[in-house]
Amino acid sequence: MQPDKAVITTTCKSCHGGCGVLATVENGKITHIEGNPDSSTRGTMCAKGLASFQEVYNPNRILYPMKRKGDRGEGKWERISWEEALETVAGKIKGSIKKYGAGSVAICQGTGRGYNRYTFRFARSIGTPNIGVPADFCYGPRLAVFGTTVGGRLYCDYHGWGGEYPKTQISWGKQLEITNADGEMAVWFLNSLDKAEHLILIDPRATRLAGRADLWLQVRPGTDAALALGMLNVIINEGLYDRDFVQNWTYGFEKLRERVQEYPPAKVAEITWIPADKIIKAARILATEKPGCIQIGESLEAGNNSIQTLRAIVCLMAVTGNIERPGSMINWVPPDTGPLEEFAMEVPAPEEPAIGADQFKLLSSPPMAMAHMHTIFKQLREGASQIRVMHLQGTNPLVAYPNTKEVKEGLLNAEFLSAADLYMSPTVEYADIVLPAAHWLESDDIHDMHPRFIIGAIHKVVDPPGEAWPDNKIYNELGKRLAPEYWFDNVEEMLNYQLRKANITWKEFTGMGFLAKMGKEQPYYKYKTDYWQKGGGFATNTGKVELYSTVMEKLGYDPLPYYLEPNESPYSTPELAKEYPFILSTGGRSPYYFHSQYRQVPWLRERQPYPIVQIHPETAGSLGIKNGDWVWIETPRGKIKQVAEVFAGIDPGVVVAQASWWYPEDPGPDHGIWKSSANVLTRNDPPFDPAMGSATFRALLCKIYKVEDE
Amino acid sequence: MNRTIFIDKDKCVGCYSCIVACKLEHSLPPEPVKPPLGNPTGPNLIRVYQVGPQIHDDEVHQYFLPIPCLHCLDAPCIKACPRSALYKDNDTGITLIDEDKCIGCKFCLWVCPYGAPQFYDGRMYLCDLCIHRIGEERQKGRQTACEAACPARAIHVGTTAEISALIGEKAAERAGKEKSI
Repeated sequence: MQPDKAVITTTCKSCHGGCGVLATVENGKITHIEGNPDSSTRGTMCAKGLASFQEVYNPNRILYPMKRKGDRGEGKWERISWEEALETVAGKIKGSIKKYGAGSVAICQGTGRGYNRYTFRFARSIGTPNIGVPADFCYGPRLAVFGTTVGGRLYCDYHGWGGEYPKTQISWGKQLEITNADGEMAVWFLNSLDKAEHLILIDPRATRLAGRADLWLQVRPGTDAALALGMLNVIINEGLYDRDFVQNWTYGFEKLRERVQEYPPAKVAEITWIPADKIIKAARILATEKPGCIQIGESLEAGNNSIQTLRAIVCLMAVTGNIERPGSMINWVPPDTGPLEEFAMEVPAPEEPAIGADQFKLLSSPPMAMAHMHTIFKQLREGASQIRVMHLQGTNPLVAYPNTKEVKEGLLNAEFLSAADLYMSPTVEYADIVLPAAHWLESDDIHDMHPRFIIGAIHKVVDPPGEAWPDNKIYNELGKRLAPEYWFDNVEEMLNYQLRKANITWKEFTGMGFLAKMGKEQPYYKYKTDYWQKGGGFATNTGKVELYSTVMEKLGYDPLPYYLEPNESPYSTPELAKEYPFILSTGGRSPYYFHSQYRQVPWLRERQPYPIVQIHPETAGSLGIKNGDWVWIETPRGKIKQVAEVFAGIDPGVVVAQASWWYPEDPGPDHGIWKSSANVLTRNDPPFDPAMGSATFRALLCKIYKVEDE
Repeated sequence: MNRTIFIDKDKCVGCYSCIVACKLEHSLPPEPVKPPLGNPTGPNLIRVYQVGPQIHDDEVHQYFLPIPCLHCLDAPCIKACPRSALYKDNDTGITLIDEDKCIGCKFCLWVCPYGAPQFYDGRMYLCDLCIHRIGEERQKGRQTACEAACPARAIHVGTTAEISALIGEKAAERAGKEKSI
């Protein structure tokens, strides 16, 4: 008999995703996956995406809806039908809304996985403003700053469609080369890097591209705003700014000029630990070797000054004229569907403010109003919680949010928890109802992680195991029970609806694979046309790039960027630094994992079985720590152990631990989070970023010492 | 026509895609099990080594180097094998293993300058340069799974003539460029 064999085109979602994939199916089973050479990612794929093969047939997957038997976290479950599961979740939500109001329900998800728009639509459709996402410390600050400062979303133009590639590239607190983070793809970046003349790496560590960079600015964690302001000082005072762009297309230049006088290179060198001559050199390269672009990492957001740090960096782009010119930073024109997030935004936002809205006004500003998760956990912990019911779709707060001990106390105080996931994570273990989620190789959906120039078809390749359902189906079926006017007969109808503006159906889209505005279809210099404003201009209050932010001013925040010392540092808390002498960043990432995912995937876990903390050779030597030793890392919140990597590319006063570790093989319910998860160490105390509520993950104080007796 | 692999160490960024692409292509262990293993192991036909960072005079020296079997013309492993289990494919010069003859003595590993032979669960594994994909019309001429997956385009596989031309072109390009990143 001839085997039934087909090659199906789909789109990877193993990180934020977007790589084109070809999946081979034989007799109903996946036998191979590899990159699609006819996609924007040219056939390349990363370790995580390729290892998806071991997720589809992973025996640790959740197969059926379950309800809790016994106490929370006891690990006793009873298989139930989808009908019962959905009725229970919908019933709890309905009951809570009736008794305590819509705002008593939190709809939560983890990092963006392309179902963000369903999460937001679902929350809005049931009337709750409390969308619980890690937005305050991941990408939310960029969205807020791009929106308020330039009226759009800036991406690096790696594509050469306007006839130029970036001549100067800055990689700032990011390792795009081993990730596909935040709307950009490693392969685009690496291809454009071959055509660049300068690469400036700004990072506390000599990360993977350090050997290729002309200039490595080894910044002290948490001081990036000072660096950006110092570079602005050089560019403005040396007259290197783009006079035409500044004069015609920016607002508040003179006020910015005045502000940056507070940040001369010598002072910035003291703050950031970067020699002044390097700061000056970097500023001159960015200002004179154009076009240029800056790849901004999440590291800059995970601190007490996230918004002003990013504001300063966007000001750098603006005064050097590196906005909307080919090879610089671009606001992409979306495909003919329009931005797919309209699917969520078209549902009227509740009038009730989100939790934290009184304090963190950018986090909860329309259109993407979100709740402040650290406040939600605090309220839950203290027993005076507005939130009663939490639905957790693809999120693992016990690993992802700062101060695990307090997060757990809070989570356990929720009256009802439902969780949809692929695996029994430490968080799912405490749920009352568990919903089995399908993998992207088992789902039909439209990939649109960050609104950009391209959307891709995520095409179901095989049936999910057991009774697992795709995320969009879970939301649709819950939605039909709670707010039927906003939901659809089935997923295909929902996908057709999202594609309607492009005049294509879901079936047609799967045949196309992707829809994009690329090459000559992607215009530059849109502010010189009627694109945003009749007669030209940006989509901001003043029609200009707002160096001085009228939005920030109106909300009562400083309209100009400034530097703020981290909450914990040798300078801000010298007493604490006596006991905890090292600066700790928990920003370490591995090419094998995406946040808390994939520790149960053997092809990945084999490569890196345990978390790694990087320590300078001198420091390691003075503490008697050798490469490969387990070491304790301790902060006032707790201590964990990770494996030491003695690493010359780090300051002797700084250690970098890896984030998001848990051990699926360790006993539940906690699966080893107390052993190695870096969020046992991080802080959830105020002061947060004043406008965004960002907590601190990258600039803390710690002590380290060797683990004895193991 | 002799086929070979060229690793451009100036381009590799240590994303390790090649390792997993190879495991998938060759269906290599470890397999998922329940409960998952904390320290699963299996053979790796391509391995990636990080060199550095070393910092001298403010310059960072650091690179990543993937190393598969290099399919040596005069392969010491073939000479060392007491059972003649290793041999050259006539058409391509790729070093292959006859599993029926291999006794797992590991002489090949002793003599290999790159540590390429892999031993796992009683058998020997070796990179076969994805010989089964030669001539297949996929990936726009990028033949091996590792070459296809690499986002940095650090891996190139082809005939020795093709690789020679590629390296020559790269040298010429470098000569015309003052500074290369």
